[in-house]
Amino acid sequence: MTTSCWLMFQMSSEGNPPIVASCEQGPASDALPNVHGRTCPTRRGPNSHQRNLSLDFRPMKISLPPVAQVTAGTTVAALAATTQHHRHRSLDLDLHRIPEVDVTPSPEQQCSKAKLLPMAKSSKLKEDITSLGSDDSGICGSDSSAETRPKGSEETIATEEVKSEPEEEQPKEVVIKQTVETAAAEPAAKENCVPKKDNLLRFMESSMFQAPLAISYLFTTKEIGVQTYIANKLFTFPEQEVDFYLPQLISMYIHIPELATLIFPYLKQRCIKSAEFSLQVVWLLKSYSSDAHLTSKKKSDGTKLKTLILSDKLRPRSFHDREVVKHPLTAPSPNKKAHQRSQSDASALIVGQASAEAAENSSTCLGDLRSGRAFNTGCTCFNTHRGMVNNLKGRQTSCICSAPRLEGEVQFVDKLLAIGHLLPEVSGGKEAQAIRLRAEIDQINLNLPARVWLPIHSSSIPHHVLHISTAFSAVLNSKDKAPFILYVEVLEVDNIETSPVPQKMLNALRSTKSEENLLTNERPSPSNTSQNLATMLHSNSMGMLYPYDNDDCWTQEDDEISQQYVNKMKTDRDTISQISLESSDSRDMMVAAGDIRRRLSSAFSDPRTLARRRDPEDPSANVLSEPWMDKVQRIRDSSPYGRLANWRLLSVIIKCGDDLRQEMLAAQMLEMLQNTWKDEKLALRLRPYKIVCLSADSGFIEPVLNSVSLHQIKKQHQMSLLEYFHANFGPPNSEEFLEAQQNFVASCAAYCVVCYLLQVKDRHNGNILLDDKGHLIHIDFGFILSTSPRNLGFETSPFKLTQEFVDVMGGEESDMFRYFKLLILQGLLAARKHMDNLLILVEIMRSGSQLPCFKSGAATVQALKNRFHLTLTEEKLERLVDKMVCNSLDSLSTNLYDRYQYITNGIL
Amino acid sequence: MFSKVSEKAHPFSSQALPTVIHIKATCILSYVVGMSNSRKWGNVSSKKPSKGKVVQIYESFFKGEDPSVGNEHFWHEFFLLKPSVSKLESELAKLNGEQLTQLKDNLNLICVQCIDILEDSSQIRIAVALQTLCTILKAITRKAASESNLDIVNILVGHDSSKKYIPLLFERCSSILSSNPNSEIKNLALRLILALATGSENLSQNTILEYSMNYTSQVLFEALVYILQDPDTRLALGQFVIQLLTLFVNFSKYEGTNPFVVQLSILDIELALIGYSQVITNHLADFCWQYTTQNADTHAGGWFSSLTNMVGSMFVSDEGSCRNQQLKNHNAILLALYEAVHLNRNFITNLVQTQADTSSPPSPTATLENIRASAESNQAPSQIHLMVNPASQPTSLLATFIEYCSIVTQDTKPDTLFNNGKLCLLILTCISEDQYANSLMHDPNLVYKVQLHRSPMRHRKIPSDPSLPAQPLACAMLDFVVEFITSHKMKRFPMELYLLSIGIAQRLVCYQKRCRVRLSYQWPELWKSLIALLRFLLSHEGTLAKKMNIFQLALQVVNIFNLFITYGDTFLPSPTSYDELYYEMIRMHQVFNNLHAMALRYSSIEGEFKEWAQKLANSLVNVRAITSHFVPKINTWLTDQGLSTPSEDQILEVVRCNYDSLMLKLQDNLDHYERYSESPQHESFFYTMVQTVISDINQNIDFTPEESVQKVFQDFASVS
Repeated sequence: MTTSCWLMFQMSSEGNPPIVASCEQGPASDALPNVHGRTCPTRRGPNSHQRNLSLDFRPMKISLPPVAQVTAGTTVAALAATTQHHRHRSLDLDLHRIPEVDVTPSPEQQCSKAKLLPMAKSSKLKEDITSLGSDDSGICGSDSSAETRPKGSEETIATEEVKSEPEEEQPKEVVIKQTVETAAAEPAAKENCVPKKDNLLRFMESSMFQAPLAISYLFTTKEIGVQTYIANKLFTFPEQEVDFYLPQLISMYIHIPELATLIFPYLKQRCIKSAEFSLQVVWLLKSYSSDAHLTSKKKSDGTKLKTLILSDKLRPRSFHDREVVKHPLTAPSPNKKAHQRSQSDASALIVGQASAEAAENSSTCLGDLRSGRAFNTGCTCFNTHRGMVNNLKGRQTSCICSAPRLEGEVQFVDKLLAIGHLLPEVSGGKEAQAIRLRAEIDQINLNLPARVWLPIHSSSIPHHVLHISTAFSAVLNSKDKAPFILYVEVLEVDNIETSPVPQKMLNALRSTKSEENLLTNERPSPSNTSQNLATMLHSNSMGMLYPYDNDDCWTQEDDEISQQYVNKMKTDRDTISQISLESSDSRDMMVAAGDIRRRLSSAFSDPRTLARRRDPEDPSANVLSEPWMDKVQRIRDSSPYGRLANWRLLSVIIKCGDDLRQEMLAAQMLEMLQNTWKDEKLALRLRPYKIVCLSADSGFIEPVLNSVSLHQIKKQHQMSLLEYFHANFGPPNSEEFLEAQQNFVASCAAYCVVCYLLQVKDRHNGNILLDDKGHLIHIDFGFILSTSPRNLGFETSPFKLTQEFVDVMGGEESDMFRYFKLLILQGLLAARKHMDNLLILVEIMRSGSQLPCFKSGAATVQALKNRFHLTLTEEKLERLVDKMVCNSLDSLSTNLYDRYQYITNGIL
Repeated sequence: MFSKVSEKAHPFSSQALPTVIHIKATCILSYVVGMSNSRKWGNVSSKKPSKGKVVQIYESFFKGEDPSVGNEHFWHEFFLLKPSVSKLESELAKLNGEQLTQLKDNLNLICVQCIDILEDSSQIRIAVALQTLCTILKAITRKAASESNLDIVNILVGHDSSKKYIPLLFERCSSILSSNPNSEIKNLALRLILALATGSENLSQNTILEYSMNYTSQVLFEALVYILQDPDTRLALGQFVIQLLTLFVNFSKYEGTNPFVVQLSILDIELALIGYSQVITNHLADFCWQYTTQNADTHAGGWFSSLTNMVGSMFVSDEGSCRNQQLKNHNAILLALYEAVHLNRNFITNLVQTQADTSSPPSPTATLENIRASAESNQAPSQIHLMVNPASQPTSLLATFIEYCSIVTQDTKPDTLFNNGKLCLLILTCISEDQYANSLMHDPNLVYKVQLHRSPMRHRKIPSDPSLPAQPLACAMLDFVVEFITSHKMKRFPMELYLLSIGIAQRLVCYQKRCRVRLSYQWPELWKSLIALLRFLLSHEGTLAKKMNIFQLALQVVNIFNLFITYGDTFLPSPTSYDELYYEMIRMHQVFNNLHAMALRYSSIEGEFKEWAQKLANSLVNVRAITSHFVPKINTWLTDQGLSTPSEDQILEVVRCNYDSLMLKLQDNLDHYERYSESPQHESFFYTMVQTVISDINQNIDFTPEESVQKVFQDFASVS
């Protein structure tokens, strides 16, 4: 009890402005989770309170004693007023603990930097009291203390932020604390370690020590103290940076039990904060813990965490608090004490009832696609008066009812995956699959919009899914699996969890005329019946016998008229047919048959109006070939949601039956390389695409927009790459062509480096795309590091470089080609400089994982390391690049592999 | 009044405890002690005493006594006894109209008590009341059918209180539909409403329905819609709801404003609309599936059986008459579809909404999958239903409907079939007129495989192509029209249906012209069938022209050609298709020449078709210009080349070379057609259709299913 209370105190000890704002909504919702990156983590261990100190020490350099004292004073007073509060006890405990901690470290601190101690101690104490007090006042719920709370917490933030700036000056104290800690944790090694670690910890406190290094050290070090420290340090890194390493973190969590307990607090806090993050963790756990199942029979840490998150126990604390507060209010029988309750209590009661109702509803409908509410968790917070007021005031509403937070999204993703599993079983070819896909999407659409999101895009664009475009969904080409692409209309929102979900709209193509005039608003919902009906009847019986008038009925003409109008607006060409429509007297109008025929032919020379031919073998080509912006416009025009300002179109590829974990690793490497080159200001350009693994054999892929595969170019246009460049971008010396050529070279060089370093195989033309700016993009990283397709070892060349590519660059003697080789060299050099960052990604994923790309075991990483050629000088490396380019260009195996693909899969 | 008194006496009755204890309590209090204990446990063998008691009560009522007098708990107990439908019916059947009127007070008493008890908390009482009411109602309406001067309302609740009680009855039934959790009771309530709605063979003379056309309509409508919304009740009860809505919508719809028409036209609850379309789709798909399997058997005989089939029409046999009956049953469903398409703007989307869970027969793979899925996910049982059989083709309402049409319109000789086919074509007309429906049907991404059924004919084989191409629905619709045009050129010429079907093609082409949609369709198929139709008209001119206006039909056909000739550039799918159009016309130029000659002939003599004939002659101007321009040119080319049998390509080449010297006249209003309007043209048609629906419902639906009541008794007797 005490630890958990204390833990809660710690969490909320550092408030942060948005949360404070939401606290104003009502006293009871004050105790929201604390969303602050720098919150001190806690561990369920004896030394947890010590770590608290290490962070709390920081304020001492900045002297703001007056403020601290003031806040402390008021809050202590507030505390005194509510002595009965059970949390009081924990406060006492906490206060007791502080000296305990101080006693232990004092000898050592004296020996190193004794001067700072008194100050540190006192200010730390004050700080603690401040935070504790302010938090408690919030929980008390009295108005006076609620006022002090925001003030106090804002103060803490202020000091906190000021302090985090001059971090260079800070580390020493923390180093002390840290040494103390490690010493406490490993008393045996105490004497020897202290001087040595000093440097290490100094380094760790420096600004150089960011997420990449932290992850690396977390993995490599065996010192529990250092591990603990880094695990705590995670809280201070920007969330995005840590998110990049989430697969690594989860992998470590699963496979290194001693780290699991250390990372847990961080994961827990993030999960509490965000449902989206929770699910990310769940999916990663699902993806990576499958291997662990084989070794141990009892539940692994990963499974445990997964069930914990899915049980929805990790959610904003306000929920649990509210329950405590709510029950005494709802428990007394309503008819007796109603007059005693104040207004705010009454509203709380309403919420209570609503949530109970919601829970009932959701339990029956969640996951039932026919119900139309399959993804509706039954949260009613947005329908309450509170939600409406917040909405009007532009404030955020946080969910306080007990509706499950994750279940809606889990169901949504499950349903999408179910389609993926169903499609390959559909017999009757691609077309039958496409029809089935549409049927399934229609089913899902019934239940949208809902508070669900596409995990692949949610981090960059927080959104709610409005509708999945049925006509544009397509089954992609694949031999036995059936991955499919979806175009999803979404509404961009500020926050997935706190923004209201838009109402359902039916298709707006048919403009409504009558609905406004009719009594639609007065219609009772079918669920609340008899009483409502009675009142309804009463009000209605005043009216005439037939309350409606047929004039209000919609007629076909309405549509017709509006359509005519639309057409007129759109008419661009002034053809005879139009004239004839408008002219009343055309008795003498004549038209030449030849003109009609010519217009018909010319309509087909314009590729835009060309009726797209359906290819029953490849129904998706049709959908994919349309430029993205055109598609967005078309879908937006036809969508009832299209006029919403934050409307967006997103696309996602859903793949079932394929292991995407390697893809994810490759995507990480690509992103890392891309960032490295960007930092080094190199022209090389990659196009990493996002991957979300949902389990070991399914996941979401971000489609690369506006691109066609080289295979399609060859198949549809029957021309060489250079000809295609000329056709698309212009003649040899035009600006567009040169720009496209430049893009091509930059991207080709980048992917050459990637292909070499990662040993990307299966490089047939179906896996190489060209975008509308001339960039070359490689996709499908199913064969990297130590695997190749069927392990045939066909592709022996360092990377795929065909004569066609070189032709686009201008031939082997051109400046562009030399530039290309230079870029490769630069890229390799830059990659070598940041080799460690790349290696650690691979190394962590290798530990405990049985991905095929690690089939050579530790040698895989060693081989990767070797490919960076640490020992070579720049000149030698340049020669190596020359040699590799030469090898690749002449490579027999590349041609052989292309031919093999042509024979087996028909890929040109 | 009674219920209130007894409520006080039985505090239990106000709570939802329709349990054994409850029954026991009332039994002990009852003045007849002859009820055995075992009865309470729903034991079938001990049914006799209770039956006896109910019968006793009935008998005393029909003697003119009132057993409730002096026993304040009487009604409470009465409604716990299982009603004896047969006894009640026979008692009522014994009476003639006069006697019934004499017994009015007692009947009123029972009915009013029934209506009152509908709000009771005991499910058993509600079920009994519904059953009793329904039985009485049906018996009286049956009487009223033979004795025309019988006032049903008066006998049921009395004239004076009818304004109060009949709306109340509708309301209570509605609230049962929307809030009662028991589906059997919903079932009973729906049947009661259906009994009310079908009380009179002539819908507009049904005085009871008058009472539903006021403020109760909204409540009732919503209750019905609610049933459609709920995925579980939709499957079981959807058909009743659809039938009811159709009847309500058709009630005096030409005489005044019908609130149900308005309500249905603005219904915008997606789930309800989907439910509506799903009920229809399931029904039609079932029929199509049955037909396909039956036909698979008959066709299995191969060449010989197809020969016998073509000699003797397959519909004259027993099988045919059975099918007629079956098709009659579809009238309600078709009417419902018609009303939805005709009235509701939001319904159109559902026409192409793909429906995965149609009622296709379960296959082993599907069930296996269900088991697997439920084992894996531990989800609610309703979840299992969602797992679909991957082998079954998902379909849409429109795709199913077109397939259905292709079956129904194969034979149009009997009146029922003719009406059926006509209704189908009317629905298709409405759909093809709708802008939004057209945009969906022409969407190249929304493709379906539509299996069209063709009747076997002498001069063609039935293409049994298992690998249907998936195509936009507009193509399927055109295919259907072509099939209809080709297969109904018979002596008893179904003129009305021809006008409708060619109208459908015309509407589609007009839409394409207006919106510049290039549908990739094999247009020559349509052209050929249209020309063949013209030729048929010409060759049977002698008989046909006496009976009907063949000029109107011919004009419609020629207008379609004119659309292609003048506006082909805006919607033809490829440049060469314009050449092919000319090729077809030139090839069959004799038909057009003869047609022109005939038109001239009729326009020169006085007659009822003179004006039409003139119009037809005028409309042929461009076609004739084309034939007279190209035919000589082709002939000279042939003589130049010394060819007698030129290939199509050669002719096309000549056509291509000679466009420029040809001038065409622009004709007015080619893309205008008379909009479909139900009233006044089709009023009587729909009137008779509704009649058949009512008589059909009366024949085929058991309004008082005893098993439902039995089930309620069992359910609630065991829930102790």
